[in-house]
Amino acid sequence: MQQTLSRRSFAAISTLGLGLPGLLGGCRGTTKAGSTTMIPGENAPLADHLGWFSVDKPTIARVMSELTARGADAADLYFQYSRDNSITMEDGIISRASSSIDQGVGLRVVVGDQTGYAFTEDLSLEAMLAAARTAAGIAHGGAAHAPVEFKQRSRPTNFYTLSQPWAEVQTVQKLPRIEHLAALARKGDPSIHKVTVSWADGEELVLIADMHGNIHTDIRPMTRLWCMLTAKKGEVTQSNSANLAGRHGFDWYTDDRLEFLAKEAVSRTMVLFDAKRPPAGEMPVVLAAGASGILLHEAIGHGMEADFNRKNTSIYASMIGKKVAPDFVTIVDDATQSGERGALNVDDEGNPVEKTVLVDHGVMASYLHDSISAKHYKVKATGSGRRESFRHSPMPRMRSTYMENGPHTREEIIASVKKGIIAETFTNGQVQIGAGDFTFYIKNGWLIEDGKITAPIKDINIIGNGPEALRNVTMVGNDCKLDFGGWTCGKDGQSVPVSQGLPTTLVSKMTVGGENV
Amino acid sequence: MSDLLQSAKTAVDLAKKAGAQDAWAAISRDRSVSLVYRDGKVEKVEESTSRGLGISLYVDGRYSSHSTTDLRPDRLAGFIKEAVALTRVLQPDPYRVIPDPALFKGRPTVDLERVDPSVAKLTREQREAWCAEMDAKAHSDSRVISAESNLFSGESQGAAASSNGFDGVWDGSYVGYACTATVREGEDKRPEGSAHAVGRFLTGLPEPAAIAALALQRAIDRLGSAKGPTVRTTMVVDPEAAVSLISRALSPLSAASIQQGRSYLAGKQGQKVFGDKLTITDDPLLPRGLSSRHFDGEGISAKRMPLIEAGVVRNYYVDTYYGKKLGWAPTTGSASNRVLGLGDKPLAALIADVQDGIYVTSWLGGNSDATTGDFSLGLRGHQIKGGKIGAPIGEMNVTGNLAALFAKLAVVGNDPYPFSSLRAPTLVFEDVQFSGT
Repeated sequence: MQQTLSRRSFAAISTLGLGLPGLLGGCRGTTKAGSTTMIPGENAPLADHLGWFSVDKPTIARVMSELTARGADAADLYFQYSRDNSITMEDGIISRASSSIDQGVGLRVVVGDQTGYAFTEDLSLEAMLAAARTAAGIAHGGAAHAPVEFKQRSRPTNFYTLSQPWAEVQTVQKLPRIEHLAALARKGDPSIHKVTVSWADGEELVLIADMHGNIHTDIRPMTRLWCMLTAKKGEVTQSNSANLAGRHGFDWYTDDRLEFLAKEAVSRTMVLFDAKRPPAGEMPVVLAAGASGILLHEAIGHGMEADFNRKNTSIYASMIGKKVAPDFVTIVDDATQSGERGALNVDDEGNPVEKTVLVDHGVMASYLHDSISAKHYKVKATGSGRRESFRHSPMPRMRSTYMENGPHTREEIIASVKKGIIAETFTNGQVQIGAGDFTFYIKNGWLIEDGKITAPIKDINIIGNGPEALRNVTMVGNDCKLDFGGWTCGKDGQSVPVSQGLPTTLVSKMTVGGENV
Repeated sequence: MSDLLQSAKTAVDLAKKAGAQDAWAAISRDRSVSLVYRDGKVEKVEESTSRGLGISLYVDGRYSSHSTTDLRPDRLAGFIKEAVALTRVLQPDPYRVIPDPALFKGRPTVDLERVDPSVAKLTREQREAWCAEMDAKAHSDSRVISAESNLFSGESQGAAASSNGFDGVWDGSYVGYACTATVREGEDKRPEGSAHAVGRFLTGLPEPAAIAALALQRAIDRLGSAKGPTVRTTMVVDPEAAVSLISRALSPLSAASIQQGRSYLAGKQGQKVFGDKLTITDDPLLPRGLSSRHFDGEGISAKRMPLIEAGVVRNYYVDTYYGKKLGWAPTTGSASNRVLGLGDKPLAALIADVQDGIYVTSWLGGNSDATTGDFSLGLRGHQIKGGKIGAPIGEMNVTGNLAALFAKLAVVGNDPYPFSSLRAPTLVFEDVQFSGT
């Protein structure tokens, strides 16, 4: 559960960071004077959203005019307010809580493939104009045509509708849920020695104004519940955890879900007492349905982000239209999976979102584009322009990455392996875009001998090469599911929430960390 | 009094007024500038000044912590009032107390040289010129497809105040460059090499072109990289790669991990866990150190602390809260600079001594279990043949247990990595398990 800080790393976050935003209160959520908690609701008038940031249309027009004063092919203002809450139960006490508010505006000017960027947390006109002048420094031409009028753009669907916005949920409502989960985990096994439960929820209001006079707003909720356990048997101590995450509301945490989470955390921890390291070296790897989507994220997803290809630094830079995997392999990156961490109503440049096919029946189909790369490649943006916050300029990023179902069953896949492993739970992964080498770390898995599961394994790294691993996908199951736990993707110092999924999949050969005693 | 310290004190007062018995507030302001240059021209310029407030509240035996960047006076007052109200609904925690003022005493006054005034004066033209130098150097080989150069710098000021008498201010600067070169290999492969340098002062950093030359050399060194064999052999770890390996081994030294039963170093104080060659000291008082400080986040006055002496665990990182849970006196809750006891040879001489093995230049992914010390890491590097650096290898893992690995630490170099607060030298380990073909 450590977070890797290197570039293009990918980690299950072990802390509560990054949650954001909340959602739709129907007409309930208009700004209450003097309240710091209630952001305007989904259906509130634009004036309320602007009012939250203490700005109006003429102010935005004035700042946009300054931002584009030296020329621009594209320019935008990204206003963001986010509020996150977390609560921790440890050693039997709900012993701490935290909240954070982050607010500001990011200002961007794009000229060709050059970007000028500045941000300010101070939303006064004076501070925004100063930031606009800084960002405009990238350009050296005459003023671009800046819009006088701004109009809110509607979008068709909402992929994260909550029955109650997080801001309306009181802390006292959350405490019994936390205590219930801790109690379930504690009675999961007599060896359980420590139980930590971490609750996180948040909501985020985003308002994007571009140089064509469009304004997009979005209200994005996020929540996560972690259950971390330490168990002791004699002199041996083991710890592990499980979490549930998504763009959901309070009512998502049903009794059934809490029971499921406690059970997962307990079984993942207790199995470690019997788990060993597999032998070291190359062998077949069966990727269990769900979290194993980390393979796609690392082996192909990052390499298909168009910025790396535009810069000619990705191993996939000349592979569009080429056959890269068997016919039964179709891989997508999808912003439209409701309630997922990777779900978006609109991307962070204001572009509409979609389900993008990366590999279509084994053929490399499309990169993930932001506006800059879409213009470079003369294609439509795929709604993949994302940013960590108003402090960062957007770039092409994944959303929910998964493989469509294939023709095989889990049983026949496992039965086909003479000696290999099943990878089941993961903590993190990483990729080198140009060389194509990727890794992911298996926390729990199983040894397969003569087509049968024989013993649990733990704590091994897998390393492979992206295009080679795709070629070596020899069987794909019919049981695709997205992981229920939360993933955070890091690239060039920016973290964004993502989702991943996979049907049971066999890769015929990868290098497995292990020990030959 | 600085304006920041005044703001921190105001926040503490607001918390007391809202009903908190105690409060601790910290406020900071950071300016950062980054220029990215790619293939002959500027690609991205980012510049900003940021500020934020963090506050910890002690209310009726309960505790919470909060942060905000919305410092408009009415919003801030409302925020703190709500935060105090939120704290009241939590459960009382007998172990939670504000840090003991006795720990604030004896604050060192040595000049830590945290600020280089010339950093704030760097011009756009100078930054661009340095990036152009790096770019030209990185493109000095026909196999280069693309190169990215980055110059980054910043300055920060901060202040903290508490309801029980703490106040302190700090400032700092940093400046650095980074370069990544990508070269073509065959049809599709595009191996890359990166290098960077960072410090609190401009003087002492290598020339930008030297960093670019190193990045280019590292990219070229990857050409022809292949998977090596599955083998148990000697591992030589480059100083830059040793930083994260040591950091991984030491992270379970915190009182929090020990009290929560998630540390393979629990119960080991005074015991020999690692090899004789391993001696590590936490040193917050190094002039120009990237993590040098006069006091930590709880106001505890900084002092040098031995962590490991000749393989024996001497001290843990103990903060007020987990210290109270364990019945231990606080030391400091977080790491500052870590300095290793050094040997007498640099990397090249150690490789010559080893004769045969694997030289690790960098890690790729991997992780470790803090509770058991089990680890498995992806790696890139070179074969060592006949005492010389040989063919590049990649797509391999190294797997084992951190305590067992560091017990087999055979030699430590005399070449500490200068661009990290953990100044790791070359490390040589015997009998290490590698997975490859």
